[in-house]
Amino acid sequence: MRFIVLRRKTIPRYHTWISTAISLILGILVYLFITILVGRSPLEVLVNIARSFISPSIVKDFFVLIAMGCALLISFKAALWNIGGEGQFYIATIPGILLTLFIFNPRHNPAPAPLVILLVALTGTIMGAFWAFIAALFRAYLKIDEVPVTLILNYVAYYILNYLIFGPFKGRYVYGYLRTDEIPEIYRLNVRVHLPMRGDPLQVALQNLTVQLAYYIALLVLAVLIYVFTWWFFKHCRIGLYTKIHGSNPSYLQAVGVSVNHIILLTMTISGALIGLTGSIYLLSELGRIPYEIERQTAGYGYLAILVSWLSLLDLKMIPFSAYIVSALRNAGIALQVAGLGGVEQSLLLIGAILLTYSITRFLVEYEVRFEW
Amino acid sequence: MVIETTIILRLTAAFTTMYLVALGHSIFEKSGILNLAIDGVFFLSTGVTTAVVVPLTWLLTARGLSLVLSTTLAALTAGLATAIIGIFMAWTLTKLPISHGAVGLSLMFLGYGLGIIAGYEVRLRVGSIRPYTYPDSLGIYLAILAITVLIGLLTYFFIFKTALGTAIRACGENPHVALALGASVLKTRLIAGLLGFFIMGVGASFFVLLWQKYWDIKTYLLGYGWLAFTIALAAGRHPIVLIPLAFMFGGLVEFSITLQARLGLQADLAKMLPFIAALILMIIYGSTKLRRIFEPPGSLGKVFYKEERTI
Repeated sequence: MRFIVLRRKTIPRYHTWISTAISLILGILVYLFITILVGRSPLEVLVNIARSFISPSIVKDFFVLIAMGCALLISFKAALWNIGGEGQFYIATIPGILLTLFIFNPRHNPAPAPLVILLVALTGTIMGAFWAFIAALFRAYLKIDEVPVTLILNYVAYYILNYLIFGPFKGRYVYGYLRTDEIPEIYRLNVRVHLPMRGDPLQVALQNLTVQLAYYIALLVLAVLIYVFTWWFFKHCRIGLYTKIHGSNPSYLQAVGVSVNHIILLTMTISGALIGLTGSIYLLSELGRIPYEIERQTAGYGYLAILVSWLSLLDLKMIPFSAYIVSALRNAGIALQVAGLGGVEQSLLLIGAILLTYSITRFLVEYEVRFEW
Repeated sequence: MVIETTIILRLTAAFTTMYLVALGHSIFEKSGILNLAIDGVFFLSTGVTTAVVVPLTWLLTARGLSLVLSTTLAALTAGLATAIIGIFMAWTLTKLPISHGAVGLSLMFLGYGLGIIAGYEVRLRVGSIRPYTYPDSLGIYLAILAITVLIGLLTYFFIFKTALGTAIRACGENPHVALALGASVLKTRLIAGLLGFFIMGVGASFFVLLWQKYWDIKTYLLGYGWLAFTIALAAGRHPIVLIPLAFMFGGLVEFSITLQARLGLQADLAKMLPFIAALILMIIYGSTKLRRIFEPPGSLGKVFYKEERTI
């Protein structure tokens, strides 16, 4: 038997969805195969994965991953592989800590909360943009692949943050823990709703969902804003058009007199800025304080967002769908750890298996395989 | 005198690890396949080494055989385990029109996960891995150093002076032309994958067996694979040029703690130094003639697709 790989003349309508679904199923099967090999019950693992898809606790991850997935989509569309989301996300928290705990700490220098929150968002955006801009400079002017540079910058960001938490940012009210102080309540962006959590399971789940939505309202607004911005960027903004052209044919840009280097700088910077904005809002909505050795405690959104963006096949419409899948899987990884079915490797294996099957089956969208006997 | 010996031992171990990983990576990338799996493969090798060396040492020392034999066999086993990934990457990325970057990054995550699965149980059982590693003997370290340099020289000869080496370079520059000239792109890349990842795996196993004499699941957060990636990039994937760079980086990583004490640096700043050095090295590489001299293979990371492909 022979297999022949042929380029499709037209791409069937629902192929993107089918390809994503196949890669997901295959990825989960690969993961299950590994878990069986190490002697875990596949049924127990599957139940935990399935449960996470209907759990209200995925709300926070869902919003963050929509925002970051869109941010990465912008650079990926330009074939600029920004793998440095982690670094851009965490480096953006530095000005947030500085502003809320030191410069405008309500204990000794109170300031209007909306102004401080705005400043945190603005400076976080700038920091994220700056971090991505460094990698863009390497790519544009030194012709060095952005993948290793953005990855290395992730480590640099972790260590800078660690240095600050160990030194100048070290908290005074931390009960012996090595971390920053808690960001004052007036700067936090959560809305607390108290519901009775009574009734049948569906009612309880809906009440729980309402509580989560209210608590993470800022992340919800952020996800919507970044999604709309990304839509506008690709639909109505000239730079968005240039970005897409850079992804498919950079020499065409040159031919029409557009500086390829400027597009690289702009695209990466915008991508980093949106990630920075997400990092700063996440600081005020969820983190509240930053622990020492952040690399050991990170949620890994920078890497998960790559999965979101790739699973969407770089299609903005699919970003919420893939963000939902990835946030459910991340929570499945945590649920498996809680259920005593493994540790951090569960999340790594699940992400790795799905990314791998996705990367391999992805070609079936543009190509077909024919069997000859 | 004791301090000098310790310095030699640690520097030798750091160099050996970094050099072999960068060398294996270079052989593979010379064939035109972008290897972003390097950091995951590095960690996977350390996990497999931990899993293998302990039972092997129990087995062999009970039969009166030496610790050096079990550690060496563990290193070779780790090399074989990672070679499977090399073969998988070479086959998949040559036969199917798929992204090198995506496959590499996904294998990186899988490498982290599988590495933890491989090493965790054994590490938990024995507590410390040190009794199962190479003894702190100058003779053993220098012998390993000599073998490492010899492997480097042989690789140079293999890549630049043999027909197979020329085929590897041709596949890296332009696989279509290499095919037209009669080279089998698949076979060539499979050999590069097998050899490159085997050397990479052995090199990474020395992280546990020779250099740090320590393993823990959080080793995957160190990012040393990416440092080896940078070394290979800046040395133009050249086996001889890699030697001074691996020596420099190995030294920098190893002595960042000494530097920390001497310069009064905080630990996290010291840990950051090799990464900053990697970025500086990239700037030097990208902005000088080095870039033209050590240009990457012309088809590195490019999808190899022939119309009407038969697999």
